[in-house]
Amino acid sequence: MNKLYLWGIIITAFMLGATYYTVVLTKGGLNGDIVNMLAITGAVALVVITVFVVVKYVRQMQTDTAEGQLADEDWDGIGEYLNEVPKGWAIVFLLTLVWGMWYFTIGYPVNAYSQIGEYNEDVVVHNAKFEKQYANITGDRLVEMGESVFLAECKVCHGLSADGIDGKAADLNARIEAKSVKFIIENGSNNELIGMEMPMPDRNGLFNATSGALITDAEIELVSSYVADGMSGKGAEIYAGTCAACHGGDGKGMDYVAPNIVAFTPTLVSNILKHGKKGAIGQMPAFDRLNAKQKEAVGAYITSLSK
Amino acid sequence: MFHWLEKHPFFFAVAVFVTIAFAGAIEIIPNFAQASRPTIGTAPYSTLELAGRHVYIKNSCNACHSQLVRPFKSETDRYGHYSLSGEYAYDRPFLWGSKRTGPDLMRVGNYRTTDWHENHMKDPAGVVPGSIMPSYRWLFKNDTDIDTAFAEQLTVAKFFSVPYNKPVPMKDGSSIVVKMGSSIEDAKAIALAEAKLIVADMKDQDVKDAVAKNKIPEIVALIAYLNSLK
Repeated sequence: MNKLYLWGIIITAFMLGATYYTVVLTKGGLNGDIVNMLAITGAVALVVITVFVVVKYVRQMQTDTAEGQLADEDWDGIGEYLNEVPKGWAIVFLLTLVWGMWYFTIGYPVNAYSQIGEYNEDVVVHNAKFEKQYANITGDRLVEMGESVFLAECKVCHGLSADGIDGKAADLNARIEAKSVKFIIENGSNNELIGMEMPMPDRNGLFNATSGALITDAEIELVSSYVADGMSGKGAEIYAGTCAACHGGDGKGMDYVAPNIVAFTPTLVSNILKHGKKGAIGQMPAFDRLNAKQKEAVGAYITSLSK
Repeated sequence: MFHWLEKHPFFFAVAVFVTIAFAGAIEIIPNFAQASRPTIGTAPYSTLELAGRHVYIKNSCNACHSQLVRPFKSETDRYGHYSLSGEYAYDRPFLWGSKRTGPDLMRVGNYRTTDWHENHMKDPAGVVPGSIMPSYRWLFKNDTDIDTAFAEQLTVAKFFSVPYNKPVPMKDGSSIVVKMGSSIEDAKAIALAEAKLIVADMKDQDVKDAVAKNKIPEIVALIAYLNSLK
């Protein structure tokens, strides 16, 4: 008998014996359990198949001889038979060539994944959706949208009820506070509230036409509370003499000259969101990342608060 | 020509490695160098800002706040433009995060102000209803460690060529110069000058008094740092 088969039988017998020893002869054993039976059947099958396959191929290496016609070329003593390339291989090889050319020229450069590319596509889709659903909303829906933007962006300073959280920011339930008016008269203003750089002079440039002199401390106090109270109380003649020239007799402002100081307008709010603002309370940063419709909506919401 | 290599597997392997490494290097290094260069508009941290960054790290702000805006519409709507690698050129270490308990702070300087930070650090829930952030009142009392900040400035200027005292290009085409002191006294004077600009917008009288006495409470440095995040 061939030595190889003998070794195969010895190893099989040894492995099966070891399996028998570890499973059947130890505590617990098969225990009549179907899962244990299956496992042991698998183990026996593995041993037998492994040994059979190994023996087959080792035998083949020992006995096989190569036949066929050799090609003329040889590479460092290694020759090649003149066999046909298997058809399946040849087809796959050609297909790979075609696919490779497609991938190299069109596939990868055009379809390559890019995170920023995906982001840009996302933005386009989102903007189109926004345009479709919200670009033309007006009235209550605009105010609702403004409220939601306000709650996301503005409430951390102006508070949930837009009251400015105890003076930490402007109280948006009224157009303007007396201390802000006073501050602006004393320091002037260039907050681009009308969308362009058009500075309001400080007190050294504010001439009271009624009294014929620069505005005085007492007059500033009076006119500040007059404006803050919604154009009522004492100070009407100071207002008429000093402020009305730009802000209008009724305080509603003039386009490109001076902002409305009796009521919020969407344009005023949009401009503040675009440029930020610095005044009596402190600095408000710009929120220019909101889009035009969102700014308009915030303007509508804030306008609705003081109506 | 490579016949010899074919007979020597070891040297053949070395040659393969060298070839692939070379190809990899010329593919990777130029892009990498481009991406890690500071973006236009990114300036080195000033002395006070760097000290504030140390305060930020010391108080583990980065445990809850990331500094990395990812390229998603929802994030750029909320925090501004997505982050670019060159924006971290002067961050050692960068303060990215994998978990946001609080909002991202990569560009907080664009939409929060000095006085807001002051109110917020004293009592976060007072300005943000329902906020779970604790208050950081000790920042108003502790003094800022300018020495360490200056030491870091010196080190990075020397070893990483961080452009202190040199013009740095800005987005609008202008350029700014971030000053670094020539000595520790000089650095402290520069930091104090920066601190005075910050406290001008603050309301806490104790902090104002401290700065008037040439001391810099940690809150001032932290606010300087947060304002610089744009």
